[in-house]
Amino acid sequence: MRAGALLAGSAAAIAAAVQARTISAAAMVDASLARVAAIDSAVNAFTDVVAERARARAAALDARLSAGEGDALPLAGVPFAVKNLFDVAGLTTRAGSKIEREKAPAIADAPLIARLERAGAILVGALNMDEYAYGFTTENSHDGPTRNPHDLARIAGGSSGGSAAAVAAGEVPISLGSDTNGSIRVPASLCGVFGLKPTYGRLPRNGTHPFVASLDHLGPFARSAHDLALVYDALQGADCADPACVDRGIEATAATIGEPIDGLRIAVLGGWFRERADGSARAAVDCVATALGAHREVELPEVERARAAAFLITNAEGAALHLADLRARAADFEPLSRDRFLAGALLPAAWVVAAQRLRRWFALRVAEILRDVDVLIAPATPCVAPAIGSEWLDIQGRRLPARPSLGLLTQPISFIGLPVCAVPVWGCHATMPVGVQIVAAPWREDVVLRVAHHLQRAGVVDAPVTSLTASR
Amino acid sequence: MDPQRIEAYVDAAAAALELPLAPAHRPGVIAYFALAAELADSVAGARLGIADDAAPVFTPIGPDDLPGRDRGSSR
Repeated sequence: MRAGALLAGSAAAIAAAVQARTISAAAMVDASLARVAAIDSAVNAFTDVVAERARARAAALDARLSAGEGDALPLAGVPFAVKNLFDVAGLTTRAGSKIEREKAPAIADAPLIARLERAGAILVGALNMDEYAYGFTTENSHDGPTRNPHDLARIAGGSSGGSAAAVAAGEVPISLGSDTNGSIRVPASLCGVFGLKPTYGRLPRNGTHPFVASLDHLGPFARSAHDLALVYDALQGADCADPACVDRGIEATAATIGEPIDGLRIAVLGGWFRERADGSARAAVDCVATALGAHREVELPEVERARAAAFLITNAEGAALHLADLRARAADFEPLSRDRFLAGALLPAAWVVAAQRLRRWFALRVAEILRDVDVLIAPATPCVAPAIGSEWLDIQGRRLPARPSLGLLTQPISFIGLPVCAVPVWGCHATMPVGVQIVAAPWREDVVLRVAHHLQRAGVVDAPVTSLTASR
Repeated sequence: MDPQRIEAYVDAAAAALELPLAPAHRPGVIAYFALAAELADSVAGARLGIADDAAPVFTPIGPDDLPGRDRGSSR
């Protein structure tokens, strides 16, 4: 099979072909770089391409394979890219900002990049995002908006918009992003790809530019649940350089992803999660619930207050991190988030402490619900991708500000660190996908991936590569 | 907080923090602070007890971590 066709398929198939030496890692990297060169001027997912590095590492991998080594590399020759808040040796970690790009280049790769490369994957570049990850749209004023590969007039979602768009556009089969309040799940939903937000504390975050240490998570995007599992397994492992990272050992998921889901107790999240979703998003949940035989509905207590608390913690911690620059050079911040950052610097401590207290209270209440339910289902976004520049969403008669409201349904879940797989549903809107969150108890990434895989095998969810061509 | 108190607080807190607010930014800052105040009111409405502490380093809590009865999962 030719490299171009493989690139549009799964990471697992690429790795199998590279290991079998029916295609070279060099050819896969060239195919990825060619796809980026052909279409990224339209999508604007990439901010940096590391062609020389990628070609050198591909050549080294091919040499290893020729020498009979490297036959245990689950991601052999798989091109990947990362949100530009990950450190990449030799590149400045811009984190979507104007300010950071004045800093010196990173001297080492982030641990998660190193782990993927140890598994045989090859980094080809860094990806666009909302400045400092404070946004849900990737309408970046410094680097331009990332456009949705399925409709270039629409947003890709954010803040990991480049990470989702690059996968949907077929530039890479896998990518990495971060999720503080929904920044993996929102763009996965809007671009029609799979995204995994692991349990808070599962993956180390050192070597990435932080946003809100209390809430930040890292995780992968892919076009299949199985690929997500392969990547997630390669990413696992504690690192004491991140104080929030928990040492649980590696709990592999890929080998068991095909096991039956019989016996899992599955419920749909009602209340807030139904009321803040439009017809397309509710239909997507119904479609998934029907396929899973989920007839029960549960409500989380005080979910609106939980979302409010997540907003306050984000606002205060995010602003505190940038206080020196907000004092000295506020005009250099992203205009779409600058005033929010400035306001966040002024929040009274009592508000933030109350929000942190509510976080633990809410986690305890949800844990009580998870005694009796293994999987919760909810929309990932209130609607499909809006047009670039949209200021408002109309959701069931509510007029909501578009940029903060795209995370209304993801924020309460990440607030308490539960693992979530966002799965893409088509057919509930005329032309666009919308995502559904598959949520489980802490540390049960295996469960959310197993359910996502089951849905994909049943044809309920899918992540096709866009038909976008160079001439479009 | 009413709008006048919000404006007064924003100006005073910004001055205390030595955080200059450009005239072009001030209306947006006030609007976002007002939004945060509304959300803080919502959080304050939760009925937390004196023992409902924050988790200094947050650790997710699963059903197996709860004290008391068995989970009874069918997995």
